[in-house]
Amino acid sequence: MMQARRWLLLSAALVLTPHPAYAQQKKKPPKAAAAPAPAGPAQAPPAPAAPPPAPVNVDADADQPAAQPGAAPAGGDQKSTAEGAAPGAGGETAGVVDICQVTPDAPQCQLAKEVNLATEAKKPIRAEIYAVQQQYVIKARRLEIVPYFAITLNDQFVSHNAPGLSLNYYITQVLAVGVTGNWYQGLNADSDFNFQNRRAARIAVPLNEYQVSGDFNFTYVPMYGKFAGFGDFIFHYDAYIDGGVGLIRTRPIAVIDPDNRKFDWNNLINFDVGIGLRIFFNRWLAATLEIRDIMYFEKIENKDIANGPAITSGPGYGNSPLNPQTWYDQDTHFTNDVQMQVGLSFLLPTSFEYRLPK
Amino acid sequence: MTTMKRRFVKTVLAAATAAAMLLLVGAAEAQEIQLTGPLKGAPAVRRLRLYRQGRMEIAPSVSFTLLDEYRRTILMGGQLNYNILDWLGIGVWGAGGAISTTTDLTDRIDAVAPRDPLTATNVNHSLAPSGGRASFADQTAQISWVLVPQLTFIPFRGKLAIFNKIFVDTDFYISGGPSFVGVQERQNCGGAGEPLCSNPKSFTLTSNTKIFATGAVGLTFYPAGVWSFGVEYRALPFWWNRAGFDSRGAGPNGNFPDQQVNDKDATFKFNQLVTIAIGFYIPIAPKLSD
Repeated sequence: MMQARRWLLLSAALVLTPHPAYAQQKKKPPKAAAAPAPAGPAQAPPAPAAPPPAPVNVDADADQPAAQPGAAPAGGDQKSTAEGAAPGAGGETAGVVDICQVTPDAPQCQLAKEVNLATEAKKPIRAEIYAVQQQYVIKARRLEIVPYFAITLNDQFVSHNAPGLSLNYYITQVLAVGVTGNWYQGLNADSDFNFQNRRAARIAVPLNEYQVSGDFNFTYVPMYGKFAGFGDFIFHYDAYIDGGVGLIRTRPIAVIDPDNRKFDWNNLINFDVGIGLRIFFNRWLAATLEIRDIMYFEKIENKDIANGPAITSGPGYGNSPLNPQTWYDQDTHFTNDVQMQVGLSFLLPTSFEYRLPK
Repeated sequence: MTTMKRRFVKTVLAAATAAAMLLLVGAAEAQEIQLTGPLKGAPAVRRLRLYRQGRMEIAPSVSFTLLDEYRRTILMGGQLNYNILDWLGIGVWGAGGAISTTTDLTDRIDAVAPRDPLTATNVNHSLAPSGGRASFADQTAQISWVLVPQLTFIPFRGKLAIFNKIFVDTDFYISGGPSFVGVQERQNCGGAGEPLCSNPKSFTLTSNTKIFATGAVGLTFYPAGVWSFGVEYRALPFWWNRAGFDSRGAGPNGNFPDQQVNDKDATFKFNQLVTIAIGFYIPIAPKLSD
């Protein structure tokens, strides 16, 4: 019973402390005639016919003094001074006058003298509005780091999945040079399909596994754009193509004669081309999706077993199944390793400045 | 009622009273920020061209199967959609297998696989009428037709700039629905009333219909109001016996051949297609949003 009383007392105390969580009292509707002076200096005298209180403008520069009623709005650029505001009206306008008094040769003072608004207004306007104004992310002179995971798309027999890393330096907004590398060893996987095929048709398909690959690449970004998601939020993306040359280390998996054949890794020259999509979360982080084809001439296992004696030296060694020269097919085979790469893109430095205002 | 129970009931009643009184207190409010300027209260997109809403879309299409093991198929067809809203459409996609070609693996099996008692149930070893060995390609399954009633959901709408010169309105869509796929696959054999699987006649194909589900994602580009260009990736999974092999049915977990070809030998395949379509719209002119 004592506990119940304590609960009731606590509740009553809470009710008697009204509105403890209000950060600001609800604003009453302004009365036009009796409105006080707006957000000006604290000592400003009340204006007799002042407009209603100015709402908070989050776009205005916080360090600018608030403008007097009727003056040019804060946060404008220097042009606004030349175009319309009367000197001495306060805010930036007052600042320009001061500058012109001190240094009459300043460019904005020259501009103010030279521009005749009446003449300017009569000129025909050829406004050019870009479909995508001011690209969301400036990539020029930034380093992109892309950790990703690659999944094989085109090999039903052995998958060559791999973690990878790309480093690209953007020389311009649309062109980058970089390196990319994959590590495959330990993730090559012989598929069940391969086994089923061997058992049913008694046919062995030569298989290869990869260790590592690395390429020097050029990246070109011809496309960019933005999407409105659910008609509510907007996100930006770009699409790129890349290509280059590098090395891949591969070796056959002994399928035809696994008892005798132990293959070493081979260094093979490869060419790679890719097409990718980058979806930006912010100005330095994006998700990437890329389809890349690594092309090279593969050395595959010989489907025939040498029929000589199994010796390691001597006159008959040339036709020995233990002679590594007999393990490889005489021809190399053009191979495409098509991968889907999913990763994250980090652009450094994380911030940048636009050359021109929006 | 025991003392303990009484105390419990009182505590619950007191807590309920306290909760009810707390509900009477006004809700907490943070400061309301009033945005000004032309963007005050503005939607993310104004005057959006509604390419889809209230329009019928007829889109002839060509589809290419991907990652095929034994046989590739090119399907010709079309899509008929009615877009109820700009983000929701209902329609049907249908296509027929127009061109079918063999893969390198099929050709290799055809050329190399031994025709002997060990492979007799899996590779046709009979003499073809022309005098040679029967073609392995003739026993591999193929897609004959596809019919998909589907819903299309369009979550993203935007534009694409190409070379900083060409600007194209674009949308991204997801569609899905049940799939009805007509396939030609090796007939059942080895069971009661069926031919032996080593019998050359058992390698003939028969028509089956596979029912499962399908999903697609795609981009539609609108160079003009009346027509569009679309690229789509579609997953069309179902169980089928692509090679006509007897692979399963006996032994532990049924993982060994049982001298029969039947449903047990069908394996799940995540079939994939890429579709290219040209869409035409009625009415011709799209509406504009506010």
